[in-house]
Amino acid sequence: MMRIQWFTKNVLSNLRGALKAQERGIMTSSVHQLKEIKETKEGKILVVEGVNVSSPREPYLIKVPQGDDKPCPVCSLGLEVKHTDVLILSQFVRPDGCMLPQRITGLCIAQQRRIGTLVTMAQKAGLMPNLAPDFSKKDPKKRYKWKKCNTYFDEKTISVARPKYLRKRK
Amino acid sequence: MSIYKRAQQWTTFTRVWHLFDAKWQNPFESAKIIQKYLAGLHKPIYGPSDTGDHVVVINSKEIALPGDEWQKRVYFHHTGFAGGASWTFAWELHEKDPTLVLKKAIYNSMKGNLYRHTKMERLHIYPDANVPQEILENVTNQIRRPRLIPKRLDEYSEEEVEKFPKLIDYPEDYVIQKIK
Repeated sequence: MMRIQWFTKNVLSNLRGALKAQERGIMTSSVHQLKEIKETKEGKILVVEGVNVSSPREPYLIKVPQGDDKPCPVCSLGLEVKHTDVLILSQFVRPDGCMLPQRITGLCIAQQRRIGTLVTMAQKAGLMPNLAPDFSKKDPKKRYKWKKCNTYFDEKTISVARPKYLRKRK
Repeated sequence: MSIYKRAQQWTTFTRVWHLFDAKWQNPFESAKIIQKYLAGLHKPIYGPSDTGDHVVVINSKEIALPGDEWQKRVYFHHTGFAGGASWTFAWELHEKDPTLVLKKAIYNSMKGNLYRHTKMERLHIYPDANVPQEILENVTNQIRRPRLIPKRLDEYSEEEVEKFPKLIDYPEDYVIQKIK
């Protein structure tokens, strides 16, 4: 009895694990899988499915140096983003105009706040009219009262703690 | 005077017509530049005798003010009668007459002497690009704009937006929402 118990515990269970590994189908290349929701209507039936899609940004991604301290992409490249740099700011914005959270952007707290403020400035200036909710007026000239007038902003008015690499060394 | 000298005299002392595009410009920054051309201070032959030029300003309805100035800046007016004081916001004035904000900025940037009204008569402001033909025929120079015009995201082509270098990528299993 003792020998059977020892056999099932140590030998058979290990064999089962080995068999499972063979059945598994190991992936050698890491593919960045994102999901996209597709809705197809066939007559009266509406099919909503999540389809695996490769990231559209992957071929144009800048390789940020990976390290233990995980530098944020903007600080490590030394970029001084302005509110008119819409092509950079739109990468951190959802299609409905909201900023992405820090856990997705991977920015340091100083840059997350700064870019959040810059996105607000760009939206108020009417420079990102297509990144707006569906119900909004897409044309800045159709806004209410003073909001239809052209506005520009001064980036020096943003008061955010300077990132560590820019702080003066004592 | 020889023919050459006569032509030189005319070209030096003619009144030149300049063009200024006020699209996305700060009216107060542009006023500093425009009032110099109206006075003639851009010429080496400047003097107390009238050396000022004409300036035609277009797209004055597209001027830009920084931050919340459209809501905060007010224009005071008094009719002269009792209880005739009124304060008008910049955006309200701009709605009623799109040339006035820039006109007042230029007027108030000048010194309050007797030349002022003559110089203001040589200033022609139009809210958009529709300028009468007889005035456009006189224009020979364009004044450089102090501020750059920002480009909107929908003015970039889809290819340009797609191929621009990306700083971050979406994390694993992120659900992409398409821009509608």
